Amino acid sequence: MPNVTVTVNGKSHTVDVAPETLLVELIREKLRLTGTHVGCDTSQCGACVVHVDGAAVKSCTMLAMSADGATVTTIEGLANGSTLHPMQEAFREHHGLQCGFCTPGMIMTAVDIVNRKGGNLDEHTIRDELEGNICRCTGYHNIVKAVGAGARAMAGGGKSAQAAE
Amino acid sequence: MSATGIGAAVRRKEDQRFITGTGNYTSDITRPGEVRAYFVRSPHAHATIDKIDVSAAKRMPGVVDILTGADLAGDKIGGLICGWAITSKDGTPMKMGAHPAIAADKVRCVGDAVAVVLAETLLQARDAAEAVQVDYGVLPAVVDPAKATAKGAPQLHDVAPNNLIYDWHLGDKAATEAAFAAAKHVTKLDIINNRLVPNAMEPRAAIAEYDQGNDALTLWNTSQNPHVARLVISAFVGMAPEHKLRVIAPDVGGGFGSKIFIYPEEVVALWAARRVKRPVKWVSDRSEAFLTDAHGRDHVTHAELATDANHKITGLRVHTIANIGSYMSTFSSSVPTYLYATLLSGQYAIPAIYAEVDAVYTNTAPVDAYRGAGRPEATFVVERLVEVAARELGLDPAEFRRKNFVTSFPHQTPVIMTYDAGDYDASMTKAMEMIDYKNFGKRKAESEKNGKLRGIGFSTYIEACGIAPSQAVGSLGAGVGLWESAEVRVNPTGSVEILTGSHSHGQGHETTFAQLVSDRLGVPIDTVSIVHGDTDKVQFGMGTYGSRSGAVGMSAISKALDKIEDKAKKVAGYMMEAAADDIEFKDGKFTVKGTDKSVGWGDVTLNAYIAHKFTGGQLEPGLKEGAFYDPTNFTFPAGCHLAEVEIDPETGKITIANWVAVDDFGNIINPMIVEGQVHGGIAQGVGQAMLEGAHYNADGQLVTGSFMDYAMPRAADLPSFKVDTTVTPCPSNPLGIKGCGEAGAIASPAALINAITNAVGHENVPMPATPSVVWKAAQGGMKKAAE
Amino acid sequence: MALEMSGEYELPQAREVVWKALNDAEILKKCIPGCETLEKLSDSEFQATVKLSIGPVSARFKGRVKLEDIDAPNGYKIAGEGEGGVAGFAKGFANVALAEAGEGTKLTYKAEAATGGKIAQLGQRLIAGSAKKTADRFFENFVAALQDYK
Repeated sequence: MPNVTVTVNGKSHTVDVAPETLLVELIREKLRLTGTHVGCDTSQCGACVVHVDGAAVKSCTMLAMSADGATVTTIEGLANGSTLHPMQEAFREHHGLQCGFCTPGMIMTAVDIVNRKGGNLDEHTIRDELEGNICRCTGYHNIVKAVGAGARAMAGGGKSAQAAE
Repeated sequence: MSATGIGAAVRRKEDQRFITGTGNYTSDITRPGEVRAYFVRSPHAHATIDKIDVSAAKRMPGVVDILTGADLAGDKIGGLICGWAITSKDGTPMKMGAHPAIAADKVRCVGDAVAVVLAETLLQARDAAEAVQVDYGVLPAVVDPAKATAKGAPQLHDVAPNNLIYDWHLGDKAATEAAFAAAKHVTKLDIINNRLVPNAMEPRAAIAEYDQGNDALTLWNTSQNPHVARLVISAFVGMAPEHKLRVIAPDVGGGFGSKIFIYPEEVVALWAARRVKRPVKWVSDRSEAFLTDAHGRDHVTHAELATDANHKITGLRVHTIANIGSYMSTFSSSVPTYLYATLLSGQYAIPAIYAEVDAVYTNTAPVDAYRGAGRPEATFVVERLVEVAARELGLDPAEFRRKNFVTSFPHQTPVIMTYDAGDYDASMTKAMEMIDYKNFGKRKAESEKNGKLRGIGFSTYIEACGIAPSQAVGSLGAGVGLWESAEVRVNPTGSVEILTGSHSHGQGHETTFAQLVSDRLGVPIDTVSIVHGDTDKVQFGMGTYGSRSGAVGMSAISKALDKIEDKAKKVAGYMMEAAADDIEFKDGKFTVKGTDKSVGWGDVTLNAYIAHKFTGGQLEPGLKEGAFYDPTNFTFPAGCHLAEVEIDPETGKITIANWVAVDDFGNIINPMIVEGQVHGGIAQGVGQAMLEGAHYNADGQLVTGSFMDYAMPRAADLPSFKVDTTVTPCPSNPLGIKGCGEAGAIASPAALINAITNAVGHENVPMPATPSVVWKAAQGGMKKAAE
Repeated sequence: MALEMSGEYELPQAREVVWKALNDAEILKKCIPGCETLEKLSDSEFQATVKLSIGPVSARFKGRVKLEDIDAPNGYKIAGEGEGGVAGFAKGFANVALAEAGEGTKLTYKAEAATGGKIAQLGQRLIAGSAKKTADRFFENFVAALQDYK
């Protein structure tokens, strides 16, 4: 079996994988980082979004071997120690989650939106940019609020979401 | 109101693990030595199984075993059952066909399991599944419920001739016919309540483990009610005695009803684990979920409403054909009967109602409860009829409703229910203010200037929740009681563990239940933990569905807290040498009435355990109490949703310009969580009304079988919602709670379709109102206006 | 059956030649798109392996090809049915008619196709296109194969 070297959440791993192994399978089954979820098998739901070399990727759409040499951040690597990332904080503050299953993908996508579009996001932009992430619980209302607040907090240099309101 | 007590928008305790990726869903769990299960499923909707050859597949790498329906029957594993008995008009019981967990002789829908492959890895199991040879004798299929009972239709189960499971009725037929005979005006509608796929984001999963030494089984599953799963798998499937089977439902990623039911895969995982003596893990992929999760709705209905010269509703009658699918799922029989026809009075005083329901088998996935379960179907019938009647009579839809609202309580409807409290005018009036109803005409004119159509639609819904008084549901055929249980364990240091029979899969019980305890005992919510979802830890409980966890589950906790308070007062009495009757308990402090003598919560809890201030003859040591709470009535959440849409007649595109929901949920524990429930419910209802529809082709193939073809609501499909409440406390439980989990999904389809039909100017807009449907309707509507 | 297709081809060859080719296992094997093996079981029945991909699902279908309603040299019905394991099944038939048209032959066909299982579930939006393409390619291949057929 070929091996793959990836840096995940700051830690380097070299892992033997079957060639057909998906990045999400590497993350969940080999590295046992189960915060990244699988909600579909057609790359539609976004529950598996992680960052590969700083950009959001549906990890069910990428082969593990394609990630050889890459730097990957998963939901487990987003907080700075015990200090939550402002986007995580914003999801809690604005009740942007219910069952929690889509949440890791939502948060990773949201951080990527801010990285690409900046901290001042209007509702229309947020809703459009969440196109690739499905939530069945929240009706998106509070997710949209959370992403907006999290974006402002990120732009404000990591102040808490509430302070940025 | 304290910062963490009843009524406070406390941020959720459970969120920490979900936002950091440290939740523990079933598919996250691995057990040492586990094998992976992969099911071989029928690609045919209806076929005999003539031969299964697993010999080549068994030789594939990594394969541990391959089991078939014949093996299952050989081990005398029982089939799955429907736990609610319905009786037909002629007094005969419903006709339930056998439902083996793996089909042995015949498959009845695409996705029916015919074998299970157990292998070291999932990839190996999948590869071996390719090599299982199944010879099918393909039979014609029927998928349309309206055609299932026709002469010559393919027959699914021998026990159910003409595919008819029951033909049931409710209400006074003669009185209703008399009302229609005397009516000044009759409004008629034909309605298809479209079939939906629940699609909780976490697909179902099951891990089973066999402990040889103790001959005991453990099942981790994605269940809304682990005790009910254990009971059914034990008592009906016969897998193991109840005390030798532990069911654990850890974090569950959404349910919406679809995870109430006991599914074949859980049974097979347990059985296989015992056979191969290794843990067996099965995780559904989304494609499997589309085929095998119980679907929702799927009614074909003709409905009529009679009104008199004074615009009073005098009668309502419906005939509904309900598609049950290929097998009767766990509670499938109750959904189109007692959860549907009993709500046909809506918010209105209707003297005569008569409902007939035919439940039929078809070659489709089983259909069972999905968020709202029967009540969305009833609300859609009533609220469409009322809106159309108002239009036909030339009345403002609000005025027509007001004229017919129930205004005094308790109110006995002609279809079993006794409404206990409500103020329907209050919620409708508030909603109309919030949406600025009186200026709708101006907004419509503005839209018209831009070549757009604008419409507004009402839905003044009612639901029966807090399910349910056990004796009452027993008399209606339920095989179980629908009480709930709770145990309150107070530790010597004063922290509190609540063991509840309710199950949280997104509802936030770890927060709201802790708020109740904090409010009652004056302890910080951080010192309260909520334990649920494990049959070895928690006493028997009935689980979470039917918006019951607040009204029933928390009432059980409240009852147990009463007992805790009584006992703690006794302990405090011994500590302060006063009679228990003279002790007041407030804000976590026990005070001797009329004195400044007091002791704190922590002192009392410690003393309850060290037992130095009283003898065993005076008082039992310890501080732990349990309660079972059986509600005295259903609860009746009600309210008004108003949808305002703008439609582009050139493209059929709908923009939801405005959505207002004013709900009466009785007393509210955490308004933030309640609003979240409303948002999510509306999204699912809007999904039903304009996006979602499960479609089988004539061969019985599910052609909307993935998120590519089944349109789930996404962020850009929805607006932000304006949500508010009115409050009439529920008199039927100690907390005054009515329940909020299903209201949005119940109310919203009718509001949206009423708005669209209002905009396009005619009533023929089937769900889902996709752009092509709306475009056709808009063209038709314009033609009508031009004539 | 869900999908119906039809088409028409003008062929320069005489009807007898076309008819012979339509009954020639080697020609059929060359013309059936994705056909990997075609073994003759009798004059009118073949065992076949065909590789098909529709959208995200691709699978090797094992099944039978049968010639029915044989009316030499006016036409027949060619029907195929294959199981693709976990991918599901595909089946279809074409009624092929040959008419003399001057020196040559006019070939018309009416075909129907259906799929089931995963291939129907996931490939649904692509099936109409794929089936039409498969039918077209068969007859295009057939036209090409006829050029040096005697």
